[in-house]
Amino acid sequence: MTASICAASDTRKNAEHTVVVAITSHSVFESRDGDDVFGAGLAFPLLQALQRVNEQLLEGNPDESLLFDVVLVTTDRKQQQQRSLIMSSTTHHGLDVSRFCFSCEEDFVESLQTNAVDLFLSTDRKELLQASEQGVVSALLETHSASPPLEQLRILFCGDFLIQPDAGLKLAGAQSAKGFLSRLGEVRRRFSVQDSPLSITVLTSRGGRESCGSAICVLRSFGINADEAYCLAGAPRAPILNVLQPHFIFMSFDG
Amino acid sequence: MLVDIGQQLAFPAEITTTTLRPDLVLCISWIGNKIHTSYFLLLVFLLQPKPENAVTVAVSSRVLFRTDREQKVYEQKGIEEYLSYQIQHENKPFAPGPAFSFVKALEAVNGRLRALYPQSEELFDLVLVTYNHAHVGVRLINTINHHNLFIERFCMTGGSSPIGYLKAWHTNLYLSADADKVREALAEGIAAATMFMPEKLTEVSETQLRVAFDGDAVLFSDESERIFKTHGLDKFFEHEKENEDTLLDHGPLKGFLEALGKLQKKFYAKGQRLDCPIRTFLVTARSAASSGIRALKTLRAWGLEIDEALFLAGAPKGPMLEKIRPHIYFDDQMFHIEGAAQMGTIAAHVPYGIAQTHQNKQK
Repeated sequence: MTASICAASDTRKNAEHTVVVAITSHSVFESRDGDDVFGAGLAFPLLQALQRVNEQLLEGNPDESLLFDVVLVTTDRKQQQQRSLIMSSTTHHGLDVSRFCFSCEEDFVESLQTNAVDLFLSTDRKELLQASEQGVVSALLETHSASPPLEQLRILFCGDFLIQPDAGLKLAGAQSAKGFLSRLGEVRRRFSVQDSPLSITVLTSRGGRESCGSAICVLRSFGINADEAYCLAGAPRAPILNVLQPHFIFMSFDG
Repeated sequence: MLVDIGQQLAFPAEITTTTLRPDLVLCISWIGNKIHTSYFLLLVFLLQPKPENAVTVAVSSRVLFRTDREQKVYEQKGIEEYLSYQIQHENKPFAPGPAFSFVKALEAVNGRLRALYPQSEELFDLVLVTYNHAHVGVRLINTINHHNLFIERFCMTGGSSPIGYLKAWHTNLYLSADADKVREALAEGIAAATMFMPEKLTEVSETQLRVAFDGDAVLFSDESERIFKTHGLDKFFEHEKENEDTLLDHGPLKGFLEALGKLQKKFYAKGQRLDCPIRTFLVTARSAASSGIRALKTLRAWGLEIDEALFLAGAPKGPMLEKIRPHIYFDDQMFHIEGAAQMGTIAAHVPYGIAQTHQNKQK
């Protein structure tokens, strides 16, 4: 078993205050036959949106330390063995990545934990379930390639992530979630209500208006004032998601 | 209804005052507020129709409720002040707005439909579609609770255009206070109208939904109105006589009248024609003996029954509408909207067709 190896790039940020976002390399890159670099994958628009938020944070305050810090993580052996290709593709596409974690299936969650990752993003629900069961806050990368990508970073919280029927509140590793959510709220507050480079949305699929109201209040208790709210009360989600176009979605991954 | 006699069940106010009749009540031996949360969720799950089967009516917060004071804060002090004002007053419900009685009447019709057809999804589906940020969400939910409205679906778009969501909800009618959004919706083929709060409100029925429509440029296209505006009344009469047997083209609200007709037929099928809780009216400046014939022929050809057709031959509409007391009256001309509002009728402007450019020229 190859132990995970982490490599730092030149764009390392001040570790204290950043929001560390780990994204799986299989969602960032697409292998192209015959090419000596990877092509842009489904998570590219997300990376660009994160970069834009950082740029605007620095515009507001050049000494800003509350920035998004992007880490690329491999979660299988195949990608783990393509580390140089991953690093060169990152440089080739001019991506703002501070660290690489070359893990495999068995130990990627451990490397997320040792690297103090605040948020883990992937298109693979099994990976997300694994990570969230071990206390790492995780969200599903959305990949609507139908419409042109939006400039604004759009984050979606589903009702079932915020409110669970049995214990009232159940979040993946409640402590880590609390910390992440309050820092996300801080980032959002750096910008005004209108023309913000990021937007936070709440969506409840089932349950009536009260459940959506509760979800809005739960987020508020963590320091996040949601920008948008949608209460579907059983109506189909897909048409609404197509208009919403979130980059990633917080939801319950079990079942 | 199965009830555990040993338990004192505490239902939220909405359930005791509703006319809904659920088929099944779960007997649950949990404690405290978990019972009515689960019961309420069950009710909602059973009774919310799929958008494509229902007649979806989307209303904005500014027409469902009165938000004049808040609007002033927004206009004078900007959005941040507006939002903190809303949050500070979160527990203070808004007063009813111009679309309020219309929404209540839709709910009354739903109650009657559910009693006759308990399994059917052919109902009115109400969605609150607002430009507001989710910051205002809690106050809106508290207000809906306060007024016992059965609105479970909403979209708070935080400033983005609501049009995409209107389409996703298969919206049959969109009511807003913002003429630009209404025009956008019309351009996308969604029936829409701008509503205004009249100075005084005449009382309307709580048991029968009454909807009145203008003819030209509302139910029908504006083709004849164009003739009238450009060539005058005589040419208009001539043209209508010559084309009596040619159907008029459809206007933006034709689809909504059609949807109302379909629901009416469900009452007729159960022998409730006389007691039907939906009544429709045509209030047109056309004359019964001449230009009105083409309108009636068109409606008949479309298979649309309208309950009462009033041909005013150019007389003012205000007094007639005051007698009809509709929950909503659709007209394309602001002149008629203002006249109706002066007499306490709730009128909605459909910014469609030649009358709009003509109105702009008058300014």
